[in-house]
Amino acid sequence: MLNEIKRPFRYKRRTLEELDESAAGTKKRKADDFAGTVKKIWRYLSMNKGKLYLVLLMVFISSAMALLGPFLVGMAIDDYIVNGDADGLIQLIWLLAVVYIIYSLSMWFQAMWMVRIAQQTVFTMRTQLFNHLQKLPIPFFDKRQHGELMSRVTNDMENVSSTLNSSVIQIVSSVLTLVGTVGVMLYLSPLLTLITVLVIPAMVLGLKWITKRTGRLFKEQQRNLGELNGYIQETLSGQRIIKTFSQEDRVIHQFEEKNEKLRLAGFWAQTFSGFIPKLMNFLNNLSFAVIALVGGVLALNGQVTIGVIVIFVEYSRQFTRPLNDLANQFNTLLSAVAGAERVFDIMSESEERKDEKDAKELETLEGHVAFKNVSFSYEEDEMILRDISFAASPGETIALVGPTGAGKTTIINLLSRFYNPTGGKVYIDGTDLTKIKRSSLRSHMAFVLQDSILFQGTIRENIRYGRLNASDQEVEKAADMANAGSFINKMPDGYDTVLKADGEGISQGQRQLLAIARAMLADPDLLILDEATSSIDTVTEIKIQEALEVLMKGRTSFVIAHRLNTIQSADQILVLNNGQLIEQGNHEELLQQNGFYADLQRGQLKEQLLG
Amino acid sequence: MTKITSFLTPYKIAIMIALLLMLTELAVELVQPLIISYIIDQGIQQNNLSAVLMWGAVLVGCSLAAFAAGVTNSFYSSHVSQSFGFDIREALYKKVQEFSFSNFSVFPTSSLITRLTNDVTMLQNTVFMSLRIMMRAPLLVIGSVIMALLVNPMLALVLVISVPVLILFLLVIMSKAGNLFKSVQERLDHVNNVMQENLIGIRLIKAFLRGKHEMKRFHQSSEQLMDKTVSALRLIEVTMPVILLLMNLSILVILWYGTVEVNTGGASVGEVVAIVNYATRMTGALSIVTMIIMVFSRAKASNARISEVLNTDVDLYDQESSKSFMIKKGEVAFEHVSFTYPETSVKVLDDLSFTVKAGERVSVLGGTGSGKSTIFQLIPRLYDVNEGAVKIDDQSVHEMTLKNLRSQIGFVPQEAMLFTGTIQENIKWGNEQATFEEVQEAAQRAQIHDTIMSLPKQYDTILGQKGVNLSGGQKQRLSIARALVKKPVILLLDDSTSALDMKTETKLLNALEELSCTTIMITQKISTTMASDRVLLIEDGKLLDEGSHEELVKTSDLYRKIVESQAGKEALPYAE
Repeated sequence: MLNEIKRPFRYKRRTLEELDESAAGTKKRKADDFAGTVKKIWRYLSMNKGKLYLVLLMVFISSAMALLGPFLVGMAIDDYIVNGDADGLIQLIWLLAVVYIIYSLSMWFQAMWMVRIAQQTVFTMRTQLFNHLQKLPIPFFDKRQHGELMSRVTNDMENVSSTLNSSVIQIVSSVLTLVGTVGVMLYLSPLLTLITVLVIPAMVLGLKWITKRTGRLFKEQQRNLGELNGYIQETLSGQRIIKTFSQEDRVIHQFEEKNEKLRLAGFWAQTFSGFIPKLMNFLNNLSFAVIALVGGVLALNGQVTIGVIVIFVEYSRQFTRPLNDLANQFNTLLSAVAGAERVFDIMSESEERKDEKDAKELETLEGHVAFKNVSFSYEEDEMILRDISFAASPGETIALVGPTGAGKTTIINLLSRFYNPTGGKVYIDGTDLTKIKRSSLRSHMAFVLQDSILFQGTIRENIRYGRLNASDQEVEKAADMANAGSFINKMPDGYDTVLKADGEGISQGQRQLLAIARAMLADPDLLILDEATSSIDTVTEIKIQEALEVLMKGRTSFVIAHRLNTIQSADQILVLNNGQLIEQGNHEELLQQNGFYADLQRGQLKEQLLG
Repeated sequence: MTKITSFLTPYKIAIMIALLLMLTELAVELVQPLIISYIIDQGIQQNNLSAVLMWGAVLVGCSLAAFAAGVTNSFYSSHVSQSFGFDIREALYKKVQEFSFSNFSVFPTSSLITRLTNDVTMLQNTVFMSLRIMMRAPLLVIGSVIMALLVNPMLALVLVISVPVLILFLLVIMSKAGNLFKSVQERLDHVNNVMQENLIGIRLIKAFLRGKHEMKRFHQSSEQLMDKTVSALRLIEVTMPVILLLMNLSILVILWYGTVEVNTGGASVGEVVAIVNYATRMTGALSIVTMIIMVFSRAKASNARISEVLNTDVDLYDQESSKSFMIKKGEVAFEHVSFTYPETSVKVLDDLSFTVKAGERVSVLGGTGSGKSTIFQLIPRLYDVNEGAVKIDDQSVHEMTLKNLRSQIGFVPQEAMLFTGTIQENIKWGNEQATFEEVQEAAQRAQIHDTIMSLPKQYDTILGQKGVNLSGGQKQRLSIARALVKKPVILLLDDSTSALDMKTETKLLNALEELSCTTIMITQKISTTMASDRVLLIEDGKLLDEGSHEELVKTSDLYRKIVESQAGKEALPYAE
C-alpha cells in the first residue's frame, strides 16, 4: 500500500535538456515554432472566414446576454420583489425570458457553426496532408514506418480536432468577460482593481514555467504515441512471422518498453498540465485573501465600505474564472499544437522534384530506351549502379539478368523515375527523361511489380486500377487474357468478390494474375515486369507466357526474370553484376562470349543434370 | 463499462487519495466565504486589526493547502490515468498476440491500431478528468438542491422538478451520442485503412498514376469522418443551450413564485435571493456536466470497441492435454485433411493425405490456389484442420503446445517480411540466444553473408519498414537465415527462392543439404524439384501425383509439360 502511495512520485524525472535532446533526434526545429504553428492553424481556420465572423458575433451576443441576465435578476429582486410589485415583475420576467432565449439560441448557433468550421478545418488539413503524401518521392516512404505516418493522420489530427472545437469560442468569450469585469471593477475601486490585477504577472510567470515543460512533453507524448503506432502496425502486419517463430513474448516485451516510454511522457505532460488550473485557483484564492486583508485594513480606516469588499470578492472570482479558462485552453492548445506540428512537419517535406520547366508531354511513345553512363547511389559511399549504357529499340524485350543485388531493380526504378540517376542520363525516344513530364511518362508505362498490391475493394475495381475508365467488358477481357478469368469466375461473387485489405482468401499466385490483368488493361507502350512470373505456377504460366507474348508485341518490355524461356527469347539480355553491366547481347551471343552469363547457364544446367 | 473498470482496481488507493485531495480542495473553496465573513464580522466591524490579520493568514494558509492538494492530485490522477491506459494497451496487445488468423480476419489491422492508440487515449483522458473534476460537478448540484430545500422547500420545489428532467435529458443524449461516437471511431478506422493501403502501395499508385484517384478516395473517407464527427458533436452541443434555458427559466419561475410568496408572507426576500443564487451555481455545475457527458459518450464508444477486442474468443489455443514434445525425427504426415478458411465456403484442402519421411527433401508443386500455401499454414498450426489430422512423428500437432510446436519448425513465408532493426536482430528473431557465430553461420548457409559483409555496417545495418533498402532476393535470403538460425528439425520454404537467381539458389540448396532436417518446399521451379527427393503434385486441394523428378517425367503429363515450359524441350533428354 505504501508503494502505491509513493508510486506517483517515482516516475523518472525529465529535465528540459533531456526533452530537447530526444526531440532533436527526430527533427531539428526552431524553439519558437509555436507561434508559427498557431498561425498556420489560424490560416486554415480563416478559410471559413464568413462563418467564423458569424460565430464571433454569436459569442459577442451570448457574452452580452450572460452579463445582462444577472443584472436584470438583481434589478428584479431590488426593485420589485422587495417592493412587492408583482405587475412590474411580470414585465421584467418577460424581458428576462427573451434575454435567456436569445442567450441559449446564440450559444446554440455558435456551437453548430463552430463544430462545422473546426471539422472542416481538420478535414482540409487531413486531406492536404494526404495529398501532399501522394506527391512525396519514393525514398521518403522507404525511410518511414507506415504506422508512424498513420498516427499523424489519426491521433495527431484528432488532437487538433478536439481542441479547435471548444478553444476558439472559449478564448473569445473569456477575453470578452475579462474586459467587461475589469471595467466594472475599475469603476468600483481602482486600488483594489490594481491588487486584483497583480495576479496577472504571477500567473504569466507560472504559466511560462509550466508550458515550457508541457509544450515539450506533449510533443514527446505524441512522438511516442507515433512510435508505438508504428510498432503495432509493423508487428500486426508481421503476425505470420511472429507466430511461426513463437516470438509473441519478445514483441510483447518490446511493446512494453515503448508503452512505458509513452506512459512516462504522458504522465509528466498530464501532471504538469494539471498544475495550471491549480495554480490559477491558488492565485485566485490568494487574491481573495489579499483583497480581504487590504480591504479590511482600508475599511478600518474608513476608505472603503464593507459592501465594496463583498462585491469585490465576488468580482475577483469573476475575474479569475475567464483567466482560468484561458489558461486551461492554453493547455489543450499546446497539445493540439504538438499534434499539428507533426502534421505540418510532413507537409514541409519537399515534394517529388517538380518536372523541369521545359518538360513536355509525350504524345506517343515509340519505345526507344537508352541509358548513357548512368550511375546511382542511395548514399555517397554505396554505388548501386556504375556507368551503365545500353539502348533498346521499339518492340524489343530486354531481360535483366544477374545475381540478386546486382542492380536490376534499380534500373527499373530509374526508368520509371522513382529515383533520379546520380550520374549520366536516361533517354526515351531520344528525349532526356528529366525533360518529360512524370505523369506523361508513366501514363505510357505499365508495371507488374514484385509485391502485387491489392486494395480493399472488389476484384473488378482492382483490375480497373489499370485504367479507370475501362468498361466491365474490357476489365473481363483483360482478366481472361491474363488467365485470371477462370479463377475469378469460380469465386462466389465473381468479379464483385470483395477483397480484404490484406488480400486474404486469395493466393499469392492469384494476386499476381490480377496484377497482370491490371497491366493488360492499362495497354501500355512500355511494359515493366519485375519478377512478375516468379510465383505463378507453371501450369498457368504456360498460358500467361502466351498472353504476355501478345502483350509484349509492339511494346518495349523490360523483364526481370529467372525463367530460361523468357531469357532465351529476349531480344537483348543485360547481364549485371555488382552494379555494372558486364555482358550484353542475345542468348546465343552471350553463350559464345563464354563469360559470366555462360557460367550462369552452365551452372544451372549442371545443377539440373546432377539434380 | 464492466470490463474496463476492472483495470482501475490496482489503483484503488491512488484513486482514493486523488478523490480525497479533490474533496480537500472543494472544502477549502466552501470554507472561504465563511472566513471572509469572519474578517468582516470580527475584524472590520469590531475595529480589530489583529483579527483581520489572523483570519487573513488563515485564508492564505487554506489557499496554500488547497494548492498543495491540487498539485498532489495532479500526480495521482496522472499516475492512475496513464497507468490505466498503459495496462489496457498492454492487455490489448497481449490479447492480439494470442489471436488466431481467423480472429484477425474479423479485425483489420488499421482498426486494431486505432483501438490500441486512439480509443485508449479517449478512456485515459476520461479517467484523468473524472479524478479531477467529475465528482465536483454532481456534488455541487446535489449540494445546491439540498441547501435550497433547507432554505425554503416550497420555492426549491421548482428545482426538484427541473433537475431530474435535465438529468433524464442528459442521459438520453448520452446514449444517443455514444452510438454516434462509435460510428465516428469506425470512420476513423476507415481513414486509417485508406492511409495504410496507400503507404503499402505507394509505388503502384505512382506507377499507375492513380494519385488523383486515391486522393478522391481519401477525400471521401475523410469527409465521412467529418460528417459523422459534426453530427455527433452537434448533438452534444445542443445540451448546453438547453440546460441554460431550462435552468434560467426555472430561475424566472422562482422569481415570480417568490414574489407571490413574499407578498403572502410565505418567504423572505433573503430566501428568494439565496435560492436564485443556488440555482445559478447549479447552472454552472451543469455546464461542466455537459462536458463530462461528451467525454463519457466518447469513452463509451471507445470502451465498447476495446472490450470487443478483449472479449474476443481466441479460437486457437493450447488444449489442457497439450504437452511439450521434442520432435526427434521430423516426419510430417497429413491424414485425410480437409480445410476451409474461416468465413469462406470453398474447401481449400479436400481429404489430403501424404507423408514426408524424416530428413527427406520434398517439393510441393501445384497450380495457383491449389492449396499449397495452406498446407504450410497447417503444419505450424496457424489454423486448425476441419477434418483429419496433421501429425509430426505420429503426434497430432493439435496435442502439442503451440510454442513448443512452432519453436521446432523453421518457416520461411512467401513474403519476406522483415522488421525494423539491424540485420543481426532480424536473424536473431529465429533464436534469441544465438551467438554471433551462429548468426553468421546461418547467413552463410542462406547465401547472404557476403552481401551483408559488403554493406558499410555489415551485420549492424539497420533495415527500414519491411526492409526496403534490400532487394527482394536479399530479403528472401535473410528470412531464410532467420529460419536456419533456429536449427529447425522441420524446414518449410514457401516459394522462398522465387526471387533468387539460379546460381544463388543452387548454392543455397547445397548448403541446406548439410542440415539434416526435413525440408518441404513450395516451388514453381523445376530446378528446385530436381534437387528434391520427391515431388508432390497438388491440384484443387488434392494430391494428384507424387514421385521423384525422374519418375514424374515419365508418369505425369502435367509434370512433363511444366518441365518443357521452363527448361525448353531440350532439357528433357538431359533429365532422363
